[in-house]
Formats: sequence, C-alpha cells, structure tokens
Amino acid sequence: MKKEPRYKSGLISSLNPFGYNVERWSYALHRVTGVVLIGYLMAHIFETFELSMGNTAWTNTMNSLHSLGPLELVGLWIVAGSALYHGANGIRLLLNEMFGKLMGRPILPVYPYSPTSLGENQRIAVWTITGVVLVLWVWAGLYLLTGLRVV
Amino acid sequence: MTVLDALIEVREKRDSSLGYRHSCGMGICGSCGMTIEGVPRLACQTQVSILKTDIIRVEPLHSMGVMRDLVVDIAPFVAMHKSVRPYIMRRNIDERDNSDREYRVLSEEVRRFLQFDYCIMCGLCYSACPTVALDPAYIGPQAIAQSYRYMADPRDEGWDQRIDLLDTSHGVWRCHVAGACSFVCPKDVDPAKAIQMARKEVLKKRLLRRKARVGAQPVPLSSSGVVKQGAKPPPLDFGEGSVSRK
Amino acid sequence: MVEAIDHDVIIVGSGLAGLRAAAQVLSLSSGSGPSLAVISKLALMRSHSVAAEGGTAAVLYPEEGDSLELHAWDTIKGSDFLADQDSVWKFVSLCPEEMRQLERWGMPWSRREDGRIAQRPFGGHSYDRATFAQDKVGFFEMRTLYDKLQEHDNWSRYDETFVTSIVVEDGTFKGCTAIELKTGRFVFFRARAAVIATGGAGQLWKFTATSASVTGDGIGLAYRAGLPIEDMEFMQFHPTGLIPRGILITEGARGEGGYLVNSKGERFLERYAPSKMELAPRDVVSRSIMKEIGEGRGFKDEDSGLSFVHLDLRHLGREKIDAKLPFIKELSMKFTGVDPVEEPIPIKPTAHYTMGGIRVDNNGRVLDELSQAVRGLWAAGEAACVSIHGANRLGANSTAECLVYGRIVGEDTLRYLASDNAHPIGNDSSFVASEEDRVFRGLFRNETSTEDVYVLKARLKEIMDKSVYVFRDEAGLTNAVREVRELKDKYHGVRVTDGSGVFNYNLLDTLEVGVMLELAEVVAQGALNRRESRGGHARLDYPQRDDVNWLKHTLAQRTEDGPSFSSAPVRITMWKPVERKY
Repeated sequence: MKKEPRYKSGLISSLNPFGYNVERWSYALHRVTGVVLIGYLMAHIFETFELSMGNTAWTNTMNSLHSLGPLELVGLWIVAGSALYHGANGIRLLLNEMFGKLMGRPILPVYPYSPTSLGENQRIAVWTITGVVLVLWVWAGLYLLTGLRVV
Repeated sequence: MTVLDALIEVREKRDSSLGYRHSCGMGICGSCGMTIEGVPRLACQTQVSILKTDIIRVEPLHSMGVMRDLVVDIAPFVAMHKSVRPYIMRRNIDERDNSDREYRVLSEEVRRFLQFDYCIMCGLCYSACPTVALDPAYIGPQAIAQSYRYMADPRDEGWDQRIDLLDTSHGVWRCHVAGACSFVCPKDVDPAKAIQMARKEVLKKRLLRRKARVGAQPVPLSSSGVVKQGAKPPPLDFGEGSVSRK
Repeated sequence: MVEAIDHDVIIVGSGLAGLRAAAQVLSLSSGSGPSLAVISKLALMRSHSVAAEGGTAAVLYPEEGDSLELHAWDTIKGSDFLADQDSVWKFVSLCPEEMRQLERWGMPWSRREDGRIAQRPFGGHSYDRATFAQDKVGFFEMRTLYDKLQEHDNWSRYDETFVTSIVVEDGTFKGCTAIELKTGRFVFFRARAAVIATGGAGQLWKFTATSASVTGDGIGLAYRAGLPIEDMEFMQFHPTGLIPRGILITEGARGEGGYLVNSKGERFLERYAPSKMELAPRDVVSRSIMKEIGEGRGFKDEDSGLSFVHLDLRHLGREKIDAKLPFIKELSMKFTGVDPVEEPIPIKPTAHYTMGGIRVDNNGRVLDELSQAVRGLWAAGEAACVSIHGANRLGANSTAECLVYGRIVGEDTLRYLASDNAHPIGNDSSFVASEEDRVFRGLFRNETSTEDVYVLKARLKEIMDKSVYVFRDEAGLTNAVREVRELKDKYHGVRVTDGSGVFNYNLLDTLEVGVMLELAEVVAQGALNRRESRGGHARLDYPQRDDVNWLKHTLAQRTEDGPSFSSAPVRITMWKPVERKY
C-alpha cells in the first residue's frame, strides 16, 4: 500500500501559528530569531575575519557595510531584538524543559478544560518576557536608529 | 448545530460522496478529528456558532496522509503509540497475568497519572505539533504522554526500558514546548506537561544516575472471592459437543 | 477475483468483548500460536464501548456482605425472570476475576481510602457492587485492553473492514466476506473459528444513546445466515438520555444520589418504586418517566419538540460532581449548556441496550435452530444473547458480561482449535461469488430507481421512536410492522450514488440500512406477538406479566417473507419467578 504524502506538513506549516496559543507563536518567533542569529553569527565571523586580512580588506568590508545606509542599522536593530527575544525566551524554555517549571502538576481535568501547562504561570512568564523584551528593544532602537540616549 | 451535524447533512442530503469519519458524536471515540478554521478540532463537539463565520473552512488533519476528502491515514500515529510499549511491564510476568491478587494503589498515586490516561487517540495533538510537521519520525506528543502515563503508574516496572525508548534522536528531545498539543487536546490530557515530566525522568536517569523506581507489590486479597455459603460456583467447564436446551 | 485471507481465529468487532477475547487468545497462546485477526468496521478504540460510563458489577467483597447469590438474584429479578439462571450463575462467579485481572493490566479503578478497588451503588443492585473508574469505565477498560494488545505482535488488525456476510455450510463456519473500506476490495476471510462481537442495534431508534456505528451488523450476519436470533423485542431504554440527541447520562449520577424530578418539583419515583426510588431497575424508571410525561407533568423543549423531566444533581455539590461525575458534567455543558452544579439536566428515556441477539449457549457457541452448536462460531457481548439479561438488563452488568464472555470465548476458541474437532480451512465457496454480486453489482447498478437510502433510514428511525418505544400497543405495533415492510420493499430500489472505491461511506450506509430494516421487522413483529409486559417490553394493552403463556424466549429465523418465530424455554434452576416489586 503506497503511503500518501502528508497534508500541509513541512517548514511553512510548522511555523504557521495562526489560530493557536501564544506559546506556539513564541515557538515560531524563537525559531525565526534563532535563524537570524545564526545568520548574523556567520556574517560576523566572516566580517571579523577580514580584520586579519589586512587594513585594506577591512576598510573595504566596512565600506560595503556602510554603503547599505540605513539598512545596516535596521539590520543591527533586528539582530538586537532577536538576541533579546531568543535569550529571554530561552530562559523560559530552559525552565520548562530542563526543570519542568511553569507547567503545573497532574490534575483531574474539570470541564471547561484549561491545561495547566498553558495556565497562569506560563502566561505570566510569556507576557513578562514579551514586555521586557519590547521595552529593551525600543530602547535599543532609539539609540541605534536615532542616536537618542535614554538613561 | 455542530460541524459534524453540518457534514452529515451534506452527505445525506446533498452529496453522498463526502468522506469523513464519525461514530459517537459525543467526543469520546476520537474519530471526527479534522482541521476546522485552521486548528485541529473534533467536529462533533465544535459548535458552528463559536466559529463566527458564515463560510467554515474544513480540511483534513495536517501532517497526515489524506486518503479521501477528510479521511486521513492514522496508521503512522498508531504505530508511534505502539512503539513506546504502552502497557504495564513487570519483572515477574506471572504476577501480572496469572495471579489472583490485586495491587493496592492509593487515590493520590492514581492522580499522578490519571490525567494522561484520558487520551482518546484522536490525533489532534499529533496534527498540531510543529515538530511532527517537520519530522515524520518524531514519535509525537501522544506517544510520549502515554509513555509517561506508564512511567508514573506505580504498578509499572518498565522505567528503564521506557527511558531508553524516549531518549533517542526522534524522541523526547525534539519537543520545543510550542504547547499546541495541549491547546487542541479535547480531553485535557495536557501532553506538553507529560512530555516535560518525561524529560525530567530521562534526565534523572542520565544525569543524576537514579535507579528505577520499583513498582507496587501485589497485596493479598481480603478474600479469595469464593462464595462462603451455599453452592460453589461451577468450574470453567466447556463440555463437549453442544448444549441442548430441554 | 476475490482475494482470500487465511487465519485461524477471526474476531469480528473490536469493542470490549472483541478485545477481551483477543487478549485471552494471545495470553494463552505462545509465539507460534494460532494466527489471530481482529476485524472492525471502525479503527480500533473507536468502538462504542468507549462510551460506557457507569460501572462494572462484580462481587469483590463477599466478606462485607455481598455474595454471588445476591448478585445472581438481583440479575435474575432484574431480568423479570426471563434470564437463564445457570448462565447467570456462571457469569457472576467469573466477574470478580475479571476486575482484578484488568486492574493488574493497568486499569485505573477508583480506589477506597486504603487503596483497594472502590464500588458504588447502582440501579437494581441490592449491594454497592458497581466497580467504577470515575464515570468513564467503558473508556478506561477499552484503553487497558487496547494497550494490553500492543504487547503482542502475532496478530493482524484489519481496521475499517466491513464484514458483509458469514459463510456457514453443513453446520460449520467457513469464513466471512468483507469489504476493505480503504481500497474498496472485496475479500474473503477463511478461518477455522470466528467470534462475532459487534454490539447491539441501538441505531434503529432516533433518540438513542448509541454511536452511529451501532447498527446491529453482527446480529444481521447471523440472521442472514439462517441462524436464530433471540429476544429481539426487548430493548432497554435507559432513563436518562440528554435532550436533544439522547446522549447517555450515566446511571451513576443516580447512584451518587441524584434525584429525578417532574415539573411539579416532586421526586415522582415515590409512586412507582418506593423502596428503591431512583435506583430501581432501568425499565421501571423509564416507564415511570414516560407515565409522568404522559400525564402532563413533564417539560417541553421548544427546539426539538421533545418532552423531558429533570435530573437534579445540584445537592451533590461541585466537589463531588468534579471528582465522581466529571464526564457527564462535560457532556451536559457541551451539548445543552447546562451546568449540573447550577441547574438540573433535561433527560428522557433513550434507546440504549439490546437485550436480544444471536442465540448462544453458556460457552458463547452459536446455536442453530435445532440447538446444535455451529462448529467454529461464537458470539460474545451485546451481540450475543446467552441469556443473562432476560427482559431487562441491570446497570453495570453489560461491561461485566462483555469481559466475562470475551474471556470464555477466547479460551473456548483455543480449546476447539487444539481438539481433533477443528476443521481445516475450507475452499472458496460459491456463496462468495453471489455475495460479491449482491454487494457490488446489485447496489451499484440499480439504474431505475430514485430511492434515497438516507430518507429510508430517517423514516425507519421515526417509526421505531414513535411505535416501538417504552410503551407499545397493538395498533402502533401493527402500523410499525406494516411500515417497516414497506420500507424493506423500497430498499430493493436503492442505488449507491457514490461510485468511488476508496472509503465509500455511502455504500457502507446502504449495507447497514439493509441490516437495520431486517432487524427492525424482527423487533416490531416480535413485540407485536408477545402479548404481555415484561421487563423492557411494556404493552399498554397487556400490562401484566404472563408467566403461563410467555415465560419463554422468542426465536426468530429469516425466511423469504420475513421472520418466522418459534420459542425456547427459559432454564430455571435456582429461583421461581415472583412478582417484581421495588
């Protein structure tokens, strides 16, 4: 019996959080920011490597970067946000996965159902992280994009 | 009116070739899982009114092969469940199969695993999981939750084997706590919680070098169940030939 | 060309009885044991057994006042003395072992303080012997048995394979024909032994507690093969079915202390069953509810036009309901929006259990019209009629019967295979070709008619709901028989409109309706013939029980013109029939 191909599986489906809970949105964002950070890591290694290739190579690299104009700062801003989100969310995931925190204990389900792993503690953690990350990101953006130094 | 009522209406009155599964209509058999407005749900208990739209999008469950219309292939899902050995394992198998005694289990101990035993095998969690969408060999939230259900059962002595089954490259480490499984579960089995608790068990063995927990010992019965007064019950007698009625 | 698949043992139906039989066959046979196949028209774990809620009866604590005789007496009295008493005795003596065996296999029974298995009161039982697992006992029993089967590899599962007929030649079972829904293939299973465990026929009625799959297929298989079916006119109407669909609200709600209240606010069972009140057997309570509604003391639901009374659980309190009755709270809130902690639940008697079925002996062997056992054929569970439940089944006895008879049948099958009696797998029979013709060519090529099978099904359910319900009378039953015969004639003109081979549910529905119509004729005609009221069969024109003329089982056999009726005596070995008062 031949196996039918799986319906709507694959990368796009796994990253599509529409209709789902906020933890799934944060999963999608965590994955995307992870890819951004890896991309940035590669680019950064490549860029810093140019330092060892002599002054000319370094100046050329810097010039090509600066020629992007505002895009360079926006890119750095995105990377900053990714690092902030990925790090903070990572702490929440560490608590979840390695220590089983924020998940709740086994209960006797009572209708209407509300799973404890998506309950009070988890939601507080998610929104606190989102709030803190947003504030810090805006702060970073103000500095990067407008030069404004707040605090 | 539920989505299932609407589908039945379609098949019975408009187009008899619409394929979908259904049986109990009360959310206990798990046949009617399908993706309704983008989220896997049980059609028999999804009221049309909560969807807040005039045109409802119904699709087969994601990440499963489609056999016809809304009928999907649940064979891989069932096979994953079987692969985690979801049954009571005892070192002395006679205790389990050939004894006349029962295990004494307190209500608190039952409560440690009962929530995960509510699973109706509907496949919604398997379909909602983003890791399943990416990796067809991932055993899936349902299988891990069932494995944990047996790990937490005081009557089970298969802790070591279960840890080995979970601690694989397509096992418990593939979960990234998206929580979609618990979100769509119609019986509040909360597989996300079970998976993290299973992970803790794996870490207990691998990192902390804990030994397996010994299962509950069977206790003698308060009586052997044989009637005290009056006639003795007949032995399990099959007779030869037929039984003719006088 | 029909493909033949060979096995030693096949089990048709994968509910409690089927899975228990499979578990018994696999436990007793070693690796090279008989080849076992479990065939079901649904995927496993989808069977209707998962909806059983209340409990499973067993004498677990004889030192605390319970006894096997008490359980047997309760069952026999509850059956209105139509049960075969030696069968009942065999049944009650095997129940306790089953509970303990399930417990060792992982069943999460609810527990007492000291960790032993708990039991609760149930209707008709004079001792609290309903072993329960919250209020989803059937579901957990199915989970336990299904998980147990995952331990073994030497069996084949044929999910979503619909058995269309069984082949019985020369008093021997040869095999059965089936349609594989996944591919549309017609296959012939050749086997030395078979167990029919397909459940009852609750879907004949519109207001029913049963799943859409409970269409009496197995009973129809035996009927079509010319084997007698027994006591089909006895249908149990469970008192508490949720408006508007008939979904079951367990008897355990009354066991935990719920009240049945009419529109005047009184607990009306005081008038009908003063000593047992809400815990009287189900037929007594159903009749009481219908009498109250008939005399104008019920409520009416505007949307569906159904009348109902109230099941009041408010005095139990939130904690008790959440701990002991969580599933019915979920059902009530999901389908009617009523929270049992705040408001009473609207309920009405609903078609629930088929006391009748395939005629079997005490070992589950199917009997033919001469009371000879058919070689190689067994039936267990609701599809079989041993008869343990007689004219009315006590609550919590059915899950127990499925388990006990699943075990007996499993063992008996193995003994048969090991004995010299066992016959080799037969050759293909000419019957197979004619069956294929009937299923495929007949139903698909009926070009000339426009009969819609779904219209016939809806009409059948309406007729049964109206005339063959809790209270029956001559006029209604005669009308029902006539209308069912008309529908049967119309069925010959039905055409399957979906031409696909893959998952053709239209074909499945059509085949099921064919069986339903035949069984409905047996039920209605049997009810018309039986001029007395006994257990679940209550006639307004013959309100008394008539032991002189009617203390016998009804047997029905298929002929070209409809069912032909005969009777078989009831085996009375322990207690003489007395008046049944609660």
